Amino acid sequence: MALLLRTLGRQGVCLSRPHYRVLYSHAAPMGTTAKEEMNKFWAKNSRLNRPMSPHITVYKWSIPMMMSITHRGTGLGLSGAISAFAMAALVLPGSYTHYLDLIHSLSVGPLLIGLAKFGIAFPLSYHTYNGIRHLYWDLGKGFKIPEVYRTGYTVIGLSAITSIALALM
Amino acid sequence: MAAIIRLSSVCRAGVKPLFYQSTLLARPAVVLHKEHLQPHWLTARIHSSQPLYAGSDSKASLHWTAERVLSIALLALGPVAYFSPGPVIDYSLAAALTLHGHWGIGQVLTDYVHGDTKIKMANAGLFLLSTVTFAGLCYFNYNDVGICKAVALLWSK
Repeated sequence: MALLLRTLGRQGVCLSRPHYRVLYSHAAPMGTTAKEEMNKFWAKNSRLNRPMSPHITVYKWSIPMMMSITHRGTGLGLSGAISAFAMAALVLPGSYTHYLDLIHSLSVGPLLIGLAKFGIAFPLSYHTYNGIRHLYWDLGKGFKIPEVYRTGYTVIGLSAITSIALALM
Repeated sequence: MAAIIRLSSVCRAGVKPLFYQSTLLARPAVVLHKEHLQPHWLTARIHSSQPLYAGSDSKASLHWTAERVLSIALLALGPVAYFSPGPVIDYSLAAALTLHGHWGIGQVLTDYVHGDTKIKMANAGLFLLSTVTFAGLCYFNYNDVGICKAVALLWSK
């Protein structure tokens, strides 16, 4: 029975359409939701103190994997920076221009200023361009592996160019 | 055994007559009593109600769409902020950036935080952070130069 279902599933037969429902006629619907099942999994495994199976430490890293986690990392970093700025605005006594002048007076060389600008511009550019790539995926396009790599390299290239250009401005 | 009988009746008479046998209709409600009638090794346990009931109006689905709409709005705000800076853009950016970040971090928490209380605590902390962030940005827009001007000044050095 399970074999039959799996074979059909492999061939892309949609089992939820009415005329296929006869195939799992004696199937019993789960009494729990997916969320409950997930919670049960974590509760049981942490209670038994089971170690996590190695995954990212053993699986070969690929460009799409690295780009995905970089998207998450840049997002968290940018969000953190915005929150830090907002909290500073609430807490620090002086005005924005006051603190800018303070930094000016340090007479940091143009190289370091450029580097700092790049440090801000790169996460922003990368997250923006990769975000557009994500929206492209949300339209259902560009999932073929060569396309994933092509759009990925495009994002990396555009990010580098944009950040360097912004750093030089 | 029951499975074999049903399959053979499908082969013999085709699928249509089976529809008239009420025992073969998949019932989405949990029918605990019925589980005892059939031996569990003959029963495939499935989430049968999900594809039947998850329309495009579920809370999760609407949230997903709202996230994409906000992302597109934020993308549009970029060039607008560059070409016509001002208080309207400043406050729009404050709102869009904070909400985009709030929802983004929310997804990260959903991925990595497990356990009901931990999830609740993490989301409460996030809500607090986002509130403070939005308050701080609005304060900056009102009492100081504003986001657009701040970026322009920062880059001019």
